[in-house]
Amino acid sequence: MNHRKRIAITGIGLVTPVGNNAPTTWANLQAGRSGLGTIRHFDASGFPVRIGAEVKGFDAAAVIGNSKLLNYATRPHRFALAAAEEALADAGIRPTAADGHRWGFCVGAGMMAMNFDELQVAQKVCAADGEFHADRLLSEDFPADPVTFSRNQTNSGLALLTRHFGIRGYATAVHTACASGGQALGTALRVMRRGQADFVLAGGFDSMLNPIGLSAFCLLGALSADNNTPESASRPFDATRNGFVLGEGAGFLVLENWDAARARGAKIYAELAGDGNSLSCYRITDSPPDGDGPIQAMRQALADAGMTPETLDYVNAHGTSTMMNDRSECAALRAVLGGHITNAAVSSTKSCMGHLISAAGAVEAAVCALAIRDGIAPVNANYHEPDPDCNVNIVQGKSKPMRIRAALSNSLGFGGSNSCLVFRNPEEVP
Amino acid sequence: MNPKIVFTGLGAVCGAGLKVDAIWDGILNGRSGIKEITSWDVSQWPVRMSAEVTGVDNRTLVEDRKLHKMISRTDLFGLYAANCAVLQSGLLAHRESLDAAAAVQFSDRSGIFAGSGAANYGSTYDFFPALAAAQGDLNKFGKQFSESVNPMWLLRNLPNNVLCHVGIRYNFKGANACITNHCVGGVLAVAEAAAALRAGEADRAIAIGHDTPCEPESVLNFHRFGLLAPDTVRPFDRDRAGTIFGEGAAGVVLEKAADAQARNAAIFGAYLGSGCTTEATGVLRLRPDGDGLSRAIELALADAGITPGDVGLVVAHGNGTPASDVSEARALQRIFGAAMPPVTGFKWAYGHLIAASGIVDLVFALLALRDKIVPGIPTLRTLDPALAPLAVSSAHQTPRSDIALLLCRGFGGMNTALLVRAHP
Repeated sequence: MNHRKRIAITGIGLVTPVGNNAPTTWANLQAGRSGLGTIRHFDASGFPVRIGAEVKGFDAAAVIGNSKLLNYATRPHRFALAAAEEALADAGIRPTAADGHRWGFCVGAGMMAMNFDELQVAQKVCAADGEFHADRLLSEDFPADPVTFSRNQTNSGLALLTRHFGIRGYATAVHTACASGGQALGTALRVMRRGQADFVLAGGFDSMLNPIGLSAFCLLGALSADNNTPESASRPFDATRNGFVLGEGAGFLVLENWDAARARGAKIYAELAGDGNSLSCYRITDSPPDGDGPIQAMRQALADAGMTPETLDYVNAHGTSTMMNDRSECAALRAVLGGHITNAAVSSTKSCMGHLISAAGAVEAAVCALAIRDGIAPVNANYHEPDPDCNVNIVQGKSKPMRIRAALSNSLGFGGSNSCLVFRNPEEVP
Repeated sequence: MNPKIVFTGLGAVCGAGLKVDAIWDGILNGRSGIKEITSWDVSQWPVRMSAEVTGVDNRTLVEDRKLHKMISRTDLFGLYAANCAVLQSGLLAHRESLDAAAAVQFSDRSGIFAGSGAANYGSTYDFFPALAAAQGDLNKFGKQFSESVNPMWLLRNLPNNVLCHVGIRYNFKGANACITNHCVGGVLAVAEAAAALRAGEADRAIAIGHDTPCEPESVLNFHRFGLLAPDTVRPFDRDRAGTIFGEGAAGVVLEKAADAQARNAAIFGAYLGSGCTTEATGVLRLRPDGDGLSRAIELALADAGITPGDVGLVVAHGNGTPASDVSEARALQRIFGAAMPPVTGFKWAYGHLIAASGIVDLVFALLALRDKIVPGIPTLRTLDPALAPLAVSSAHQTPRSDIALLLCRGFGGMNTALLVRAHP
């Protein structure tokens, strides 16, 4: 067993519905400001759900400053480029020609390939009557554009970012639906412990806020349809919750070996101390009512970190605001925390920024690190009516200043992949 | 000290067959599964070949008909290959022999690692009828899409479906990942499964790779980039003209050797190590000097604690494209110098399965070690002089040891290397 290299989080970058960088996002989450609203960047007026958590006022050209690169980047790729750049700048360290091969890259990436405009063109050319005619692809009307092709491959985001930042070591992209971002950080932790990299740029990016993604979630009935009150539509653990709000964005963290980070005088947000990873083996969209599956992942994460449940002061819950997920997660928390359930502060920051799908786990890992650094448990907004099935210690009303020895971030995905991460306060590191 | 990890179950499905033994027999006898595409009318198409899985009904792949509505074609292959491997391993029968508490522990400690193709074009075409009806009016589209799109659309197309359904089917609840890293997904699934066993995060795991890349829009794009051959794959040949898509899946069960031996399981080989790098060159480009691949091989050798001289045969990526083959030859020359072991590649037999390509190759690398044969590449006519020296042949060769090096490369400048050993 490779027990146990200590891994430090030394850089954070975020592009979220509540801010286009980490400081703004964190300030707004602490203030409980909502990033939810009526969808603006496409006409969602005909959809049963017309609200979302959009990234707003994001000027990719200003952040990236490389128009050729932007041409190869989809909307979520652009979020990723900006968040990754912020994380590296924040860490004060970046890959060079000499050490790029010792940098790894682990990312949770979304499932969408073609963007909606491209799909519409394909439909006009190849399926004017609604039925697909393959031969029409061969006509001159069909724009077979190499740049579009390069943008739309499963690992295009990985290709773009590793190239842009000169990362030449272990690189991987994972997709376990809503758990992807957490899985990517867990993979990064293991890659570092195995000595396969000295640094990892790890995170997630996604945007399903487009007509296809919105349709897909509407069909499943998973979204809140509080179209007239978008700001309170995401209310995890509240008795009146009625679905999640689709968000978008990216989060990246820079991971380094603890001793090396200390030696170079880096600021350390937190230790990425443990990862737990399980499958619920229940149903594809349903969460197990007794929390079986998430329970094992949380316990493994604590054991991996060498911690007892009593040291967990803050839990950043998956807390999607769907009836079933929140109930299942609370059952799991009760089982894992036991008597400590009344002490540990729990909040879902999806209440303010919606569900970032493949980016959620990475963004929420960053939130845990910031919560530890500043000693603040961010508020679970829109929580008014307790649900007896969600009887946990919710951070309600406003954010709570408190010293956080350790924090847990849960990501529980469609398909039953559970990814739980434990973060330790640097002051608690022996 | 890392525990020894062995393979105790193998499953594969591809254009060359539905059974590992039948596919292997085809490889040894020069039979290829490459034929004209049947899933759409290709009579007008500039390239027309692929290695499709044909003549198999879905219930042969997955018995449970209800499940067919919940998953896509690539998932059928993944579930089928996983089932072959799990059945062969005897793990389920073993779990049944345990007492209740031990069986729960067994399930919690059984991992699943999938390499998934993800993001295909055809799934989004399901929205064509709704788009045609809306005529560009998004408001109308928003009101009407539910009339023509299957309510299960998202679930059918989740990239992690195989992970989920393999889990439900066998109640394997442990460490897991779904890797969506283009061609190297399947190989990374094996490497991550082995790493989980070494680190004590799981006691056993199944690794699966599955993909169905042969779609009209992919064929068109690959063709325009000059990546597809008109007839067959000729790795390292002077006249190589590109690759050919295949489809299918492979699954392998990994266990700690001590556990496998304790339950008297059949063992098909041992996992020695892996390496993974990117060349940071973007989606399509790769370095002509084979930099990323040589580094991946060096990392795998170091991980396994062996030297180049210990390697007995190489199963190359050999995708038959001009650029990939030349850089692969450079990497092999850099690692092995004048003492190169026999090299082969299997894509002439079942095409390029993209996310599943490396893991299907792994199954046959293990059989090559078992039978002490390095199969010839029957489509190889004249080695490209620019790639010489390279120990490839159209005739069978003999491995010089019981260790195989497997190479797999993908978009994004990705390179992976695996080392496996025959079981005595």
